[in-house]
Amino acid sequence: MASNKKYWKSVEELDTNSIVETLQQSEFVEEIPVGDFLGDKETLEDSSTTRRDFLKYVGFSTAAASLAACEGPVIKSIPYVVQPEQIRPGVADYYATTIANGYDFASVLVKTREGRPIKIEPNKMAGSNGGTSARVQASVLSLYDNMRLKSAKVNGAITTWSKFDADVTKKLTELNGAGKEVVLLTQTFASPSTTRLIAEFKAKYGNVRHVVYDSISESAALDAFQEKYGERGLAAYNLEDADVIVSVGADFLGDWQGGGHEGAYAKGRVPKKGKMSRHVQFESNMSLSGANADLRVPLTPSQQKVALAKLYGYVTGGSVGGKLPANIEAAVKKTAAELKKAGSRAVVLTGIQDKGAQAVCLVINEALASKAFNTATPVKLRQGSDAAMNQLVADVKSGKIGAVIMAGVNPVYTLANGEAFGDALKKVDLTVSFTEREDETSAYVSYLGAAPHYLESWGDVEFKKGHYSLTQPTIKPLFDTRQFQDSLLKWMGSTESYYTYIKSTWSTGFLSGSSWNKALHDGVLVTPVVAVDAQEGDVVSSEEAPVSNIGSAVAKLAKATSKGMELTLYAKTGMGDGQMANNPWLQEFPDPLTRATWDNYITMSQADADRLGLSLEQSTFFTEARHDANGGLNGTYANITVNGVTLKVPVMIQPGQAVGSIGMAFGYGRKAGLKTEMQTGVSAYKLYANANTIQNVTIEATEGKHEFACLQLHNTLMGRGDIIKDTTLEVFNTKDARIWNPKPMVSKDHVMIPVDSPDADLWTSFDRSIGHHFNLSIDLNSCTGCGACVVACHAENNVPVVGKTEVRRSRDMHWLRIDRYYSSQDSFIGDVEKKDNITGLGSSLVEFAELENPAENPQVVFQPVMCQHCNHASCETVCPVAATSHGRQGQNQMAYNRCVGTRYCANNCAYKVRRFNWFLYNDNDEFDFNMNNDLGKMVLNPDVVVRSRGVMEKCSMCIQMTQKTILDAKRDGRAIKDGEFQTACSNACETGAMTFGDINDHDSDVYKLKNDERAYHLLEHIGTEPNVVYHTKVRNSNEA
Amino acid sequence: MGSHYEAPIRKPLVTGNKSYHDVSVDVARPVEGRANKQWWIVFSISLAAFLWGIGCIIYTISTGIGTWGLNKTVGWAWDITNFVWWVGIGHAGTLISAVLLLFRQKWRMGINRSAEAMTIFAVMQAGLFPLVHMGRPWLGYWVFPIPNQFGSLWVNFNSPLLWDVFAISTYLSVSLVFWWTGLLPDFAMLRDRAVKPFQKKIYALVSFGWSGRAKDWQRFEEVSLVLAGLATPLVLSVHTIVSFDFATSIIPGWHTTIFPPYFVAGAVFSGFAMVNTLLIIMRKVCNFEDYITMQHIELMNLVIMLTGSIVGVAYITELFMAWYSGVEYEQYAFLNRATGPYAWAYWSMMICNVFSPQFMWIKKLRRSIMFSFIISIVVNIGMWFERFVIIVTSLHRDYLPSSWTMFSPTFVDIGIFIGTIGFFFVLFLLYARTFPVIAQAEIKSILKSSGDKYKKTSESHE
Repeated sequence: MASNKKYWKSVEELDTNSIVETLQQSEFVEEIPVGDFLGDKETLEDSSTTRRDFLKYVGFSTAAASLAACEGPVIKSIPYVVQPEQIRPGVADYYATTIANGYDFASVLVKTREGRPIKIEPNKMAGSNGGTSARVQASVLSLYDNMRLKSAKVNGAITTWSKFDADVTKKLTELNGAGKEVVLLTQTFASPSTTRLIAEFKAKYGNVRHVVYDSISESAALDAFQEKYGERGLAAYNLEDADVIVSVGADFLGDWQGGGHEGAYAKGRVPKKGKMSRHVQFESNMSLSGANADLRVPLTPSQQKVALAKLYGYVTGGSVGGKLPANIEAAVKKTAAELKKAGSRAVVLTGIQDKGAQAVCLVINEALASKAFNTATPVKLRQGSDAAMNQLVADVKSGKIGAVIMAGVNPVYTLANGEAFGDALKKVDLTVSFTEREDETSAYVSYLGAAPHYLESWGDVEFKKGHYSLTQPTIKPLFDTRQFQDSLLKWMGSTESYYTYIKSTWSTGFLSGSSWNKALHDGVLVTPVVAVDAQEGDVVSSEEAPVSNIGSAVAKLAKATSKGMELTLYAKTGMGDGQMANNPWLQEFPDPLTRATWDNYITMSQADADRLGLSLEQSTFFTEARHDANGGLNGTYANITVNGVTLKVPVMIQPGQAVGSIGMAFGYGRKAGLKTEMQTGVSAYKLYANANTIQNVTIEATEGKHEFACLQLHNTLMGRGDIIKDTTLEVFNTKDARIWNPKPMVSKDHVMIPVDSPDADLWTSFDRSIGHHFNLSIDLNSCTGCGACVVACHAENNVPVVGKTEVRRSRDMHWLRIDRYYSSQDSFIGDVEKKDNITGLGSSLVEFAELENPAENPQVVFQPVMCQHCNHASCETVCPVAATSHGRQGQNQMAYNRCVGTRYCANNCAYKVRRFNWFLYNDNDEFDFNMNNDLGKMVLNPDVVVRSRGVMEKCSMCIQMTQKTILDAKRDGRAIKDGEFQTACSNACETGAMTFGDINDHDSDVYKLKNDERAYHLLEHIGTEPNVVYHTKVRNSNEA
Repeated sequence: MGSHYEAPIRKPLVTGNKSYHDVSVDVARPVEGRANKQWWIVFSISLAAFLWGIGCIIYTISTGIGTWGLNKTVGWAWDITNFVWWVGIGHAGTLISAVLLLFRQKWRMGINRSAEAMTIFAVMQAGLFPLVHMGRPWLGYWVFPIPNQFGSLWVNFNSPLLWDVFAISTYLSVSLVFWWTGLLPDFAMLRDRAVKPFQKKIYALVSFGWSGRAKDWQRFEEVSLVLAGLATPLVLSVHTIVSFDFATSIIPGWHTTIFPPYFVAGAVFSGFAMVNTLLIIMRKVCNFEDYITMQHIELMNLVIMLTGSIVGVAYITELFMAWYSGVEYEQYAFLNRATGPYAWAYWSMMICNVFSPQFMWIKKLRRSIMFSFIISIVVNIGMWFERFVIIVTSLHRDYLPSSWTMFSPTFVDIGIFIGTIGFFFVLFLLYARTFPVIAQAEIKSILKSSGDKYKKTSESHE
């Protein structure tokens, strides 16, 4: 179709010799007078373009060209094409949801900004499990983990869900036909809908077994409870109703039986009308609970059993044999007397993983008719059965099982013989695992279902009987993930989504007329206990004989002895069972007791360490032993052997560890699906034979020196009684506050005046009575040291993670830390007395050196310390550029962009709360944590600036939160109610130890607390007048 | 200046039968001659150290202060130690040139030029540290009260660091002007002797057209006296203000009213030690034994002994006050200094600063060149430790035991310090080859009263 037609615009163009052609040939119509221009010197001199001008033009054009070549960083941002109605940029939305990952269960509020969840907050409407632990607070970061499994996989290759479903359904049908058993191996969901769903799945596929598996088992307690009360659950304890709390090896302030006891416990620990609860702890490892106890008796795990038996004997009036050292025997006897005296206002808890012991504990509480003990609404947070799991392992190995479908479990990591189980799994026809990352188990499984994070999921939870809670997604799934439950529905051929399934479970079950929308809004629903009670998991009879006769169980306990050392495995406050091991906030979270980060280790008493040659000498100028020259703590290594399994583990000297026992934390030593930086520690699950946390162990020293990264290198208070004010209930009740909470005095004209008197003031004071004046009150009595505030602060304020080597160099960036002190004498009061009685140089040399070492079984105290926001701040006067100055509302403010980084303020801070940006902590491959990738940066709070290298930073008293509250109230034209002002830490504090508010509001709680007679300021004698108030710690030394 | 008569029992300050011309020739010799091998060796080593220091500074500024050994508890260590050490060293120059001028101590004339040069070079080293220790040194100009467009942002006049800025910059400028004023007649001498046109042009420039008229000399004397009057308070004020960095803080071991006099005495002490170190070498290398005589060294040793004793009294007073105050934090701070993990630094300081200068009571020792040299080095080491002890041992264990930790330097800390020593010697060595290192005009003014040639003549006339 080509055409040879020629188009022309004018007649001239047609004519080949016309001017048009000539013009087309030459670019310039007129000749350029180059010759005139350059050839003639005269014209050149006449030219207006001089040589200088020419150079200017060349210079300019070169500069312009090179500048144009420099391209600024291009940041692509896509605006909303259609603005979502519910999202207002800059305004946070809150959604109620529930975390239920099999280990942590909590009803929470999720703060979302521009559609991104950025912060977890406690759901204060929840009746139970409304608190957020450090792990729950940190869980939001796990959402933005770029090591997550991003799509379904078959034998390691990425696949589509439709293919995945087709394969699995086909195999399930085949297996159904072949009559082979299908096993659902799941975490504890405690979910009414999932229980119903699994029942329907069983109905559909016939030969289905449901095994519930908890990585850290509470099976003994569940079995004992089930046997006694016919229902699989755990007794509910409300420690607020107990005046005497006796715990035998139960770390109930930690994760014992699902946790969640600290709120109620703390309420009873604050002296009211001269009364507070008394807490006696018998334990081997130094736990959070033991650290908070009024009386802590260290004893080995086998002695715990005897002690529990004897306690039973004394309480019920029988006599129980068994041998205990005289001092422990006396303590048990006294404690029993206290229990009996308190009667129904007493409670006994035990964490011994033994069905007999758990049964005895139940009986003791019944005998006491304890009001704090409730069996009508059992706790559902642990459902796993050791017997069922053992059966499953045996069946898988013997090849009886046709399919194993796992959800929320990682048995290859958490089983003592995990690899053997994994190898056996390979022989199973169909293996499916729903997991958030390619974990240890994934390597042995053919079908990997990418599971969503809980913030992307639907779900429901029954914390305890009648206490329901809902999980709703707060963001569209980031990756191509699908829930286990949705998958089950698919495989059952249902077109329903899990969301509608939950809705129907609720409306037919226990919603009973109340609104679904309201339940979803509140996140929680409490019903009278009549609701459906489906059994989660299949019943498997325990291998152990039922505890028919409590007497024989007691006798068995009383006979407990051990040969050699005993190991108690425990879960760390930060790491729990280890499923969030890739979360840098949790890795850098210091253990409340050892204050070590990025590590696990065995905890050992000084006496045992000396005996076994595992103790390092003090460092000198010439030798680096216990500490490096930069202060970093070192430890020896030990080979520990349990049932033929040997691990090389670093040794941490733990004051209060019972002689003859060691402890080791679960949750470490993971490798699969973790960044290199997060692959810390050694897996204690390898020693978790028979799911028993207590094991006999042999220990021998081995070569090598371990480098710990501890936030706190000095453990004692050195008798400095004005840092922690500490008194006994007796003194508190009988003596004047001036005795136990003396106000420091200074001399003016030879007259003693209080240090906060205006006469003692060098400064011109301002009128602070106008507007708001913020104070934060911290009660040392109710602070359990749980560290939820530490992570909450981390999340709210975009605090960087710096990694193990930097922490070891004392460069952690935490704005809020919880100092932990051990007493050097039996009590802190003893320390102060010892220091006060020092006379002369010789005595001070010796006794101060002694005060540096903690006692064998020390008293412990936790003290959260953040910027004290001094009204007379020593940092403010020394900054040459006035980068830190005082706010109108009492805060000490830090203008990051004004800071030149002299660090003078940090040096001159008596509280050492200022943190310097030694390096660039974001977008820096040296610090490859969440702030080094775009996904991880999603968690950043847009209201708080990310600090640059070279500037000082510190607690701002969450000024972004207080300003929001003020502006909201202003917009609404109303006064601010007490309790509306919060900081991240006070909001996260479940025990109510931290109270924040405006002291210019004289009706506020914080005003009352500030003027309480227990109130004092940290290092008050310096005269800094902080806006953070502490409350004297009162210990209940009254022996009933 | 002074009378032309001096008591015969006074030791001559210029030996070797020098005439006016001899003085000119001697002073001009290092400038006009060629550098010898030793000079090149020392210069190369210094230059290498200087370049290494520059490398460490570049690394620090590009990567962050984290390359140093500092931590959350110890926010200053080698940086400010070096700063105070160098500022302290600088003190001798002003003391010699200004205070001794006012007191008409003629022995200063042999040494003041180099002492002042040392001051200026030391203050330059000192000034480096406040700049590089900043987290964001590129914003360092914010410490100056300059008009700006950041709003009504102004510096914080309460901050001792700001006072430092003023103190050090005043000190540097006054010292520089004073030094240069003294140099004018000497540069003019070099100009007049110079044969190469380039040299002549340069020396003509730097001598600011000195013509040697009577009016020049009259103005020279007046200006010298006025500047001496201005500089004298600076001897006291600069280190007083540096000590305020610590004294006005609230940290036990820093918060001490004794610091101003204690720091000034320590500064003079270390300054004289450094002058001794430099001049003992210089008199040998440049053949200045006739101008920097044993008498000069002995007098400087006496100043070292006196100020060393003052410093010793200050140390003991601190300990006494800690005990007498009854403040437990203060008591612990000093107990920790003397017996804690940094006791080795404390006792190094005590031995170097308090014990070693006491040997100067013995005449034989203080007139020994070798011994004087060794003591001068020991004192400089001791004074470095003094600042390290004050800064690090006070910070590493302050109020809350939870924050107690230790400090250990990295190679960068050490590298920058070595770099400043290198820089200092590079400057000093260049100075020694291009400047009249002895104030020859002033020496000439006392030649007839204190020169041994004339002293002998006058004795013979009596």
